[in-house]
Amino acid sequence: MKSDIARKLDGYDALMGEIAAARKYGSDFTPLRGRLQDAVARLHPHRVALRVSRVIDETPSTRTLRLVPAAGNLPPFQTGQYITLFFDLGGVRTARPYSISSAPSQTAFWEITVRRVAEGLVSNHLLDLGPGALLESSGPAGTFVFNPVIHPPQLVCIAGGSGITPFMSMIRETVQRDLPRRITLLYGNRRLDDVIFHAELNELARSAVQFDYIPVVEDPPGNYPGRRGLIDAPLIREACGTLDDKVFFVCGPQGLYDHVLPQLEAMAVPRRRLRCEIYGAPANVWEQPGWPAEVDRHARFTVTLPGGRHVEAPAAVPLIRSLEKSGWAIPSLCRSGTCSLCRLKLLSGRIFQPPGVPVRSSDRRFGYIHACVSYPLSDLEILL
Amino acid sequence: MADYEAIVIGAGNGGLTAAATLAQHGVRTLLLERHNVPGGCATSFCRGRFEFEVALHQLSGIGTEEKPGPLRLLLARLGVLDRLELVPMDDLYRVVIPEVIDITLKPDRDATVAALQAHFPAHKDGIAEWFDLLWGLFGEVIGAFYFKDPQVTREKYPLFHRYALQTSAAEMDRCLKDPVLKTVASAYWTYMGLPPSRLALTDMAALYFAYSEFLPYHLRGGSQALSNALAQSVLDAGGDIRFNCGVRRILVDDEGVAGVVTEAGDTIAARQVVSNVSKVATYVDLIEADRVPLAVLDELRQARIGPSAFTVYLGLDAEAADLGMTASTTFIVGDTDPDRIYARMFQREIGPRDGMLLTCYNAIDPGFSPPGTCQAALVTLKYGESWRDVPPRDYADEKYRIAADMLSAAERVFPGLRGRVEEMEIATPLTHQRYLGHPQGAIYGFDHHVKDSPLFVANRPHIRGLYGAGGWYGSGGFQPTLESGVAAARAVLRHLNRSEAR
Ligand SMILES: Cc1cc2nc3c(=O)[nH]c(=O)nc-3n(C[C@H](O)[C@H](O)[C@H](O)COP(=O)(O)OP(=O)(O)OC[C@H]3O[C@@H](n4cnc5c(N)ncnc54)[C@H](O)[C@@H]3O)c2cc1C
Ligand SMILES: Cc1cc2nc3c(=O)[nH]c(=O)nc-3n(C[C@H](O)[C@H](O)[C@H](O)COP(=O)(O)OP(=O)(O)OC[C@H]3O[C@@H](n4cnc5c(N)ncnc54)[C@H](O)[C@@H]3O)c2cc1C
Ligand code: FES
Repeated sequence: MKSDIARKLDGYDALMGEIAAARKYGSDFTPLRGRLQDAVARLHPHRVALRVSRVIDETPSTRTLRLVPAAGNLPPFQTGQYITLFFDLGGVRTARPYSISSAPSQTAFWEITVRRVAEGLVSNHLLDLGPGALLESSGPAGTFVFNPVIHPPQLVCIAGGSGITPFMSMIRETVQRDLPRRITLLYGNRRLDDVIFHAELNELARSAVQFDYIPVVEDPPGNYPGRRGLIDAPLIREACGTLDDKVFFVCGPQGLYDHVLPQLEAMAVPRRRLRCEIYGAPANVWEQPGWPAEVDRHARFTVTLPGGRHVEAPAAVPLIRSLEKSGWAIPSLCRSGTCSLCRLKLLSGRIFQPPGVPVRSSDRRFGYIHACVSYPLSDLEILL
Repeated sequence: MADYEAIVIGAGNGGLTAAATLAQHGVRTLLLERHNVPGGCATSFCRGRFEFEVALHQLSGIGTEEKPGPLRLLLARLGVLDRLELVPMDDLYRVVIPEVIDITLKPDRDATVAALQAHFPAHKDGIAEWFDLLWGLFGEVIGAFYFKDPQVTREKYPLFHRYALQTSAAEMDRCLKDPVLKTVASAYWTYMGLPPSRLALTDMAALYFAYSEFLPYHLRGGSQALSNALAQSVLDAGGDIRFNCGVRRILVDDEGVAGVVTEAGDTIAARQVVSNVSKVATYVDLIEADRVPLAVLDELRQARIGPSAFTVYLGLDAEAADLGMTASTTFIVGDTDPDRIYARMFQREIGPRDGMLLTCYNAIDPGFSPPGTCQAALVTLKYGESWRDVPPRDYADEKYRIAADMLSAAERVFPGLRGRVEEMEIATPLTHQRYLGHPQGAIYGFDHHVKDSPLFVANRPHIRGLYGAGGWYGSGGFQPTLESGVAAARAVLRHLNRSEAR
């Protein structure tokens, strides 16, 4: 019917000519079969196949794994970004994020630097790998990056423990490529032999004008000449001079944030000049503000899944771990509540999500939760 | 035995309304989405303390309770209206040509005409004539197509017969003359992606009619709230949804569509499939080449992939008013020649002569971000080609460089903007391609030239049981894509002989 109408419209014949010409000379998409997504895949491959090419001992508890592509090229990344490694460990399919510690201009390999975590499932597995081992990762991800559009080129980096890794990438890139930036690193550790990259950082600070290194050791040997104690406001002030022209980056264990962030706030550093890396699910979740006192942290609940299957889930363990432990594969990336990849729908029951987890407002309204930072407070029913 | 009666691939606007309509009519329906959230373009993402709206600037077709627009009625039929908080915008838009004009129009035809006449007294009559033409023409389109008049004759529909196949520029030049006036009165062309010299006059009329008569709207919680509400109505009606579940093959046998194969390798059988995936990917990637009808390839050949966008999402640590964001929608236009602006849509660079749109949601919804902050999206249209060949290792630097240029251009209207940015995310055509799967990241589907109108390219199944929904099978934009999903579902229902009553 519509074509009958069209025939009577002014300009119909001319337009039919236009259509005929377009069909004759127009675009042919068929040669693009299978290649429509090439440009995206070069930047953001879904999965990257990697091979361990070298293992470097850093400290008694830490090793660096050098990873080369098992095939093709590595996608680009920005300093401060992480990759997530995927594992199938005895039927438990899980994933862990690791910041890339090598510089992005090094395109032949990525390095990750892993600290052994007592009782940790994955770190212990990773640290026992030797050259030749195969791994699978996500593409690089994360927003703990320097943004030249809005950040001043003077960076104050505050690291604790294995939180040094993203900064190592930033520092190496800045020095190797002689970027117009200044970096001051305040790096806190419990003991002197915990300090990762200590020699390299000292050497970089000596040779590069852009970089200052201030290690701070809480419990050093008696004759240690450097700074002792914790990173605090007076030290930050002394290291920075003026605050207004600096951007602050913080990465480390939860204790570092608890200690340092209030001090930065007291120094009136605005949030637009402060970036904090995510750091996984909180360790002792029952100590978080808002944890309901009536729920025993040793309690165990039952999660009902589609199809009526059940999974046991302890209160103090992120839901995603309990699901994984029972053989379910849940997509995940950041494992810290921020990327929403592990989003699932709660049909009934109560969970605890620590304050500040960025869940979309309408997701909250419709009962979606981020399973990597959700803790059961009752029996649950969920939709995957 | 089929696993489902119908499978919908993609949970963009079109896929969501298709799945909701099917499920509500008792069709055993499965909705498959590659991403982990519903919505496609109609989504949001969190950065720091902000939740960024990806796509929705102004929702059209809603109207008021007393004078409901077509989209309000559609959402009510789908049972999602009660789950949404609709916020009408008090401005149509503000247009700024730096150092030339700064004017804000109201979503009311008479007020718009009066404001323009006050500013451009020399063109008083032409302004009235232009708006008469737009309203007259679109009134005829409504009569002929929305109310499905069986006799669309020249006598009853003279404007339609005369102008249906014309572009906008000739009449606009005749009525409005002054380039500044034309720029102000046609700023919405960017919502369709073609400048007046290429944009069908009926499309121009549709834009101004729809936003003026039914008001532009904002959704509290952003477009994700709509997508989540639609997904919920799929579930409520007994439909199934699988996220993180892309489709890599649509199976076709001698009887037509037979099912789909997911990226994880599962085969799911169904005789009805609605694809919300781009028409290009659907027929070039998802279906075996020897099953693709030549007629589709002809249609694809006549089409040109439309523009994508370059967007800077801004979380700002200042109130909207303090940044001069008085209107929710501000067009910043650096050139009164839309053809030159259009030509620059093929280049990667962004500069002071480009056109761009800044939407500040807090201007009408103060709670859209935390107290003391506001959120804005700065967007300009760009064809995807210019980004395709950026070397991967330069990609991030290129994003920052161009975002900085874009902010500088916007700072002519909003001074000090850059100094208040707390969170920023940059989306290029490749970003849109990554999250939507659409070739070249096109956000409105194909270019919508007159020759591509549904009068000539009908959205009909080329393969038995395969239907299209979304911007690639009609018009882009929220209202058209939401409508297209319902239309696709109705075609499935007719095929299955299900009653459409509800
Ligand atoms: C963005 C990002 C970047 C990171 N970068 C690095 C890096 O560069 N280097 C690095 O070493 N690490 C990094 N991590 C941490 C890393 O991802 C892992 O969390 C770490 O290696 C520990 O993993 P695991 O499997 O060994 O320990 P897990 O098994 O995950 O255990 C971690 C902790 O949880 C406790 N725990 C284990 N099981 C349970 C349970 N059932 N209930 C309660 N508590 C439990 C353990 O005792 C341990 O203290 C990063 C994390 C993030 C989010
Ligand atoms: C920056 C921007 C600004 C915009 N501004 C406006 C505005 O102000 N007003 C307006 O009306 N419109 C606007 N639009 C346009 C509007 O958002 C879109 O036209 C509309 O949302 C498209 O809907 P769709 O149904 O075509 O689906 P899309 O949103 O294109 O979604 C397609 C879905 O299919 C999924 N998919 C693709 N391939 C597969 C596969 N193989 N398997 C499974 N799933 C798959 C994708 O993941 C996606 O979810 C804007 C868009 C953008 C990006
Ligand atoms: S894995 Fe990122 S939010 Fe849970």
